[in-house]
Amino acid sequence: MNNGARAVDGPVIAMRDIVKTYKTGTLEVPALRGVSFDLARGEYVAIMGPSGSGKSTLMNLIGCLDRPTSGTYHLDGIDVGTLGDDALAAIRLKKLGFVFQGFNLLARTNALKNVALPLFYAGVGVRERDRRAAAMLGEVGLGDRATHKPSELSGGQQQRVAIARALVNDPAVLLADEPTGNLDSQTSEELMALFLQLNRSGRTIIMVTHDPETARNAERVIRVRDGLVVADESKMRI
Amino acid sequence: MLRQVGPFVGEAFGVLADNRTRSFLTILGLIIGVAAVIAIQILGKGMAGAVTGVLGSLNDRSFYLFPNQQQADFTKASFTVADIDKVHAAVPNIVVAFPAGYVARVVTAGHEHARLGISDASDVAFARVPLIFGRNLSHDDVASAAHVCVITNVAFKRLFPAGNDPVGSSLRIGERRYVVIGVEGPPTQGILPIKFGGDISIPYTTYEHDFLRSRPLFAAQFIVADVSQIAQTEAAVKAYLRTLKAGRSEYQTFDRKTFSSSIDGIFAALTLVVTLIGAVSLVVAGIGIMNIMLVSVTERTREIGVRKAIGATSFQVLAQFFIEALLLSLVGCGIGLVIGVGVGWLVDRFALVAISGVVPSLPWLQSIAIAVGFATIVTLVFGTYPAYRAARLDPIEALRYE
Repeated sequence: MNNGARAVDGPVIAMRDIVKTYKTGTLEVPALRGVSFDLARGEYVAIMGPSGSGKSTLMNLIGCLDRPTSGTYHLDGIDVGTLGDDALAAIRLKKLGFVFQGFNLLARTNALKNVALPLFYAGVGVRERDRRAAAMLGEVGLGDRATHKPSELSGGQQQRVAIARALVNDPAVLLADEPTGNLDSQTSEELMALFLQLNRSGRTIIMVTHDPETARNAERVIRVRDGLVVADESKMRI
Repeated sequence: MLRQVGPFVGEAFGVLADNRTRSFLTILGLIIGVAAVIAIQILGKGMAGAVTGVLGSLNDRSFYLFPNQQQADFTKASFTVADIDKVHAAVPNIVVAFPAGYVARVVTAGHEHARLGISDASDVAFARVPLIFGRNLSHDDVASAAHVCVITNVAFKRLFPAGNDPVGSSLRIGERRYVVIGVEGPPTQGILPIKFGGDISIPYTTYEHDFLRSRPLFAAQFIVADVSQIAQTEAAVKAYLRTLKAGRSEYQTFDRKTFSSSIDGIFAALTLVVTLIGAVSLVVAGIGIMNIMLVSVTERTREIGVRKAIGATSFQVLAQFFIEALLLSLVGCGIGLVIGVGVGWLVDRFALVAISGVVPSLPWLQSIAIAVGFATIVTLVFGTYPAYRAARLDPIEALRYE
């Protein structure tokens, strides 16, 4: 269903000695102090750490929303540290899919059009957009909710729409930031099952969370603390 | 390109519809400004049409000659029929020159009588009002100084209330009788109560003999052969007459173009003033639009963050907000256009037509051009900055915005 031939066969994410320092006036605040890791295609990894650990900064860097102060970052073979704003936007559009804690759907727009939004920015024609968005909604189990607006959907359904939107451009990596943070435990379970299912069908998933329950299904956990990777462990799935 | 913009337009409509009251109040200034400018443009055109209608009786090929009124001894500048004849003989391009006379007398026809204006005319074809009875003055009438007259519809109604064909019956003015040879129909245009000449027209030769004799003249009428040379002819006539008076008197001429251009000047000034007021209200409206767009950008900071995270380029975000501002402006200018044309049309239809008899055509294309032009300018000037602010937002900051 996804992927097909990628440009390169190496790791989908390769980070080397990534440093990120924020400047507040004359004060320099280090957020990341040298992070390195590789992520292979098809992996399901959780990035964990307490607040202030630098995991949000790492997430922004992986998501190409920000540039590192130093170090190199290759995404799907592309050295993204050297790219300009528009090129980074293109990377976010084609290579990355974002899922946010707060769903962040467009309120006035129905589920189908929300899912089709990245295709719109990619310049896909309206018929093709609707066809692919409808197929993607079907894949997350919301084929019958296409014309509903976000306010007419439950939290779990809204997050499914957001996942469909993240996947519609067939990205190299699905990036989820506390995806169950706004959901009750029952709905969280359903959503985690969906992530697992997506990973089993070949999707590469990075999930940023502080909640061990949410990270349960990940086959690898990267722990961040004080701007450094303090543990990187693979585990058998339960 | 259109495919890229289409969804933005739909989206923008949604945003504006969600904030209906706010959107309406935002564009109210634009509506008023555009409506005022367009209405005054249409009225200006209608006024020009009305003036043309009023001047319908004034021939393109004729001009009047007067002594200049700002001179020391006005009476010395008077001229005689003989002077006019000399001018006619000396200056080229003149077909006919004759005194422009007007006297008011009691005119009697049978038992009916009325005080009417009597003026002189030549046989050279004027763009006159069509006749309902009889014929116009002929060359023979002028050559033989015949006692004949053409009367206007006003005179006809006063003197022949029964409405029968009066051709062949005679009018008595003082001790003299004039045979009616023609009757003008009601004017089709130019009903303003300005008329050049009286209601009874007689050959100028007859007029010279009956009313003028050798009395001094203060006005003469000239008809030219080549209308494109009328200005040169007017200059030559003034120069010749000045020489004839040994340079002691000044003269002025007056043709249809002089008259209509002086009236046009008044309306042009009026149009300019209202257009300036309209322009001020458009600036105010533009600032309102900028303000509301900045509010909209702030309100939707998070949405902008999401769009950018998903992969929208800065230009695509810019385009979205720019199109929203453009749409706001276009809707405002569109409503202004309809109101402006409506008001202009109503005033034209019920006020100007009543006094001038001219039904002006609505300048649709010009009005639409004004509305679209204003919308574009307002958007360019006041919509760019908010859209630029939106485009420049940092996605991380924007996503964190509550």
